[in-house]
Amino acid sequence: MHELVEFAVEKAQELGASYAEARFEEKSGTEIVMKNGNPEGLGILADRGIGIRVLVNGGMGFASTNVLTKESVEEAVKKAVKLAKAAAKLRNKPIQFSEEDFHQVFYEVKMKKDFRDVSAEEKMEYLKLIEERVKETGVNVPMRFLRYGDFMWHKVFMNNEGALVESLIPRVSVTYNLVVFEEGQMEQAPFVQRAFSGGLELIEKDKPWEWAVKDVKALQRLIKEGQKPPEGKVDVVISPEVAGIAVHESVGHPYELDRIMGREAAQAGESFVKPEMLGERIGSEAVTVIEDPTIPNSWGFYLYDDEGVKARPRYLIREGIINELLMNREYAAYLGMKSNAAARAINYNREPIVRMANTYLAPGDYSFEELIEDVKLGVYMVSFNEWNIDDRRYQQRYIGREAYLIENGEIKHPVRRPILEITTKGLWSSVDAVGKEVEFYPGTCGKGEPGQGVPVWMGGAHARLRDVVLRR
Amino acid sequence: MFEINELILKKAKELGFGDVVVLAYEQNRRQVRFANNEITVAKNWHTQKVNLFVEYQKRLASTTLTALDEKTIEKTLQMLMKSVKNLAPKEDYYGIAEGPFEYKDIPETFDKAIVELDEPNEYVEVAINAALEEGAKRTAGVLYTDHNKLYLTTSNGVEAFDEGTGIEISIRAFIGDEESGHGTNSVRVLKKFDPESAGRKAGEIAKMAVNPVQGEAGTFDVIFDPLAFANLMSYMSFMASAFAVEAGFSFLVGKLGQKVANDIVTIKDVGNMPNAYGTRKFDDEGVPTRETTIIENGTLNTYLLNTSFARKYKRETTANAGLLMPEAWNVYVEPGDYSKEELFSEVKRGIYITNVWYTRFQNYVTGDFSTIPRDGAFLIENGEIVKPIRNIRVSDNFQHILESIEALGKDLYHIHWWEVATPVFTPYVLVKDVGITKATK
Repeated sequence: MHELVEFAVEKAQELGASYAEARFEEKSGTEIVMKNGNPEGLGILADRGIGIRVLVNGGMGFASTNVLTKESVEEAVKKAVKLAKAAAKLRNKPIQFSEEDFHQVFYEVKMKKDFRDVSAEEKMEYLKLIEERVKETGVNVPMRFLRYGDFMWHKVFMNNEGALVESLIPRVSVTYNLVVFEEGQMEQAPFVQRAFSGGLELIEKDKPWEWAVKDVKALQRLIKEGQKPPEGKVDVVISPEVAGIAVHESVGHPYELDRIMGREAAQAGESFVKPEMLGERIGSEAVTVIEDPTIPNSWGFYLYDDEGVKARPRYLIREGIINELLMNREYAAYLGMKSNAAARAINYNREPIVRMANTYLAPGDYSFEELIEDVKLGVYMVSFNEWNIDDRRYQQRYIGREAYLIENGEIKHPVRRPILEITTKGLWSSVDAVGKEVEFYPGTCGKGEPGQGVPVWMGGAHARLRDVVLRR
Repeated sequence: MFEINELILKKAKELGFGDVVVLAYEQNRRQVRFANNEITVAKNWHTQKVNLFVEYQKRLASTTLTALDEKTIEKTLQMLMKSVKNLAPKEDYYGIAEGPFEYKDIPETFDKAIVELDEPNEYVEVAINAALEEGAKRTAGVLYTDHNKLYLTTSNGVEAFDEGTGIEISIRAFIGDEESGHGTNSVRVLKKFDPESAGRKAGEIAKMAVNPVQGEAGTFDVIFDPLAFANLMSYMSFMASAFAVEAGFSFLVGKLGQKVANDIVTIKDVGNMPNAYGTRKFDDEGVPTRETTIIENGTLNTYLLNTSFARKYKRETTANAGLLMPEAWNVYVEPGDYSKEELFSEVKRGIYITNVWYTRFQNYVTGDFSTIPRDGAFLIENGEIVKPIRNIRVSDNFQHILESIEALGKDLYHIHWWEVATPVFTPYVLVKDVGITKATK
């Protein structure tokens, strides 16, 4: 496949591209769906193709094909060049890329238990285990949607500036939607996912069936014992899961430089952050937010991005100060900077754009008990359902699924649907203490058009927000 | 492609599979993306693929083939057989449709002029210029052209072909950071394409939205622009699928034959509508697409079904296969008899919401959700728009929204864009007593 990739890059240059890259991708894997105890079916993923991106006269063109012949690839290269030339005419300023150091590397994530050696029947056992364990709790769960997925993601990236990056990254996940129905009331844990880069040993160690049991028991308790949450100004302790969604939505997204510069304005929106806000305070000193693609076995794992730039941890907020933006080569060049390897594409037929990988609230030095013990009145929000944020990433809302009252330093009964609707600055300025332990939760981050759902982890440590308004 | 389909079908039957569906695609899609009034990237996709669905003694498997040589086909089928053989059966599987069927040509779904269109950038310029003329400072958006060929062969005697084209644009116009508007236009034949109207609407709303003030929380009568209501309806279309109902992703669970909306509300899926972006001649089993009334005068009439679900529920298929998951083609909200002006004159104190995004559910089965207005939103007093507002959220319940629909406009708009993946035809809609919240701190 290297030959075809190299051919594409050379051909594009011959046709007049000042910059050319080609990316071969192949995904092969399995999907198994079970609905209410019935195996719905088996899906085999076998997708491969090549995408070519070029700059000609400062215009950008992209074309892809899944017909892997020289003729078809040449046709795609011609289209990309032609599109770039035409696009250049409708530009005020030519597109330029930042200068980077490139490498020729191969890397892979090893599996201890290789999913390619395991039968579909055996993989189905993970879902059956969820069915059985949930049934054993005695909780009435009339609707159960379960999904197992794995795939090997093989990429070969090459550009005309010396980059050649080949990677093999296996990914495994289990997802569930569970509806608990008790005493005429209904609570739901939708699209809960456990997901990793690596082999089946990670699923077996993580035990999604135990997460499912924890969820249905918590929802049953919520129905039986749940009371109204307190209203008005209280303290709120958020779990790593809630901290995760909050850093993803209100820190990761608004720090994407392509969005800040308006490139995503018609789709995922713009940002309240501007480049001149680097160095400004956005949160309390307790708040540090890190974006790190290199965390081993993470769902958002990579070591080189899809422009061939070497990845590293990025400190988006350091002790409350806006520190770094997420960049690809095009937008790093606007600021005269180097890319920090945030360019990702979900498939060969998509362009790399600025994306998150694994975003988390960095740990502080509080134990969980210390976070709780001097809260007079508040709520501990463990998990969330409904959430959203405006397209400048400033006004957001999170509704608790599993949540508890905190009274005089003690965790009490469950509370129903506490609503935290708050601004980004309001949220991060309210944090007065952060816990010691970091946990991660997987998600699929949406952006781009056509949409590119990329695997990410979100997480962090527990955090305590002082005096925020909670609604019912 | 039919030769390849036949080959796959023959080999699958030889291996012992029962029901087999072979759905081949040839797609040419072109995209021009623009932002800050200039093109950011232009793209072209050429895809050849076969979606393959097989059944072996009630055990189901599916895959997509992209390499179409005989060796790959054989290897894939053998692998599918090996994988499904040991799986437990899907006990509630009841087969696929019995063909053959007769198909009618659907007007305005194919246009040679779109296939032959060399370069669509002029349409982008038209939309951008219209928005700028209305007062916008920046625009961003996307234009697509589509040319698709569909070849379907099934083990139940179906051999069907469809060819379609399309061109569409979505444009957002900005004045400052918080003043924006959005317009779209999606058609299947070139002469009906009107990028100017999309740009003009985006620009007009952006201009109206200058200097917005913080909106207030409370309960308001809301006029949803077609763009905004289409977003809610695209979620509704997913929730009408029998699969979503069984899996717990729908507020329509257990409500067949019950009132789920106001009497004036009739919502359909129309798979064979002329000049609509989701129109196809047949569903994934080969059943000719048709009109299905999901909600009739407020009562839930049917879920969207394929043959297997239909047999399970002792009904007729609604021609919405998706083999595992039935899906809507074009959602159609029956119009009312109000002009836009009459609709506004019904509102003493309310809000006009031109667009929403980020619709998320607290609980799919109860239908509790929120969604965020984006682009211009406006306070209405005594039928008149009095000022632009910002930073509000619609926080309500899906069924409550449907039950509270008070009036419907008489003109329908075809909406299809990034946030409305299933095309929707909807008028302006007036909904009473909608929950509005805002962020504090």
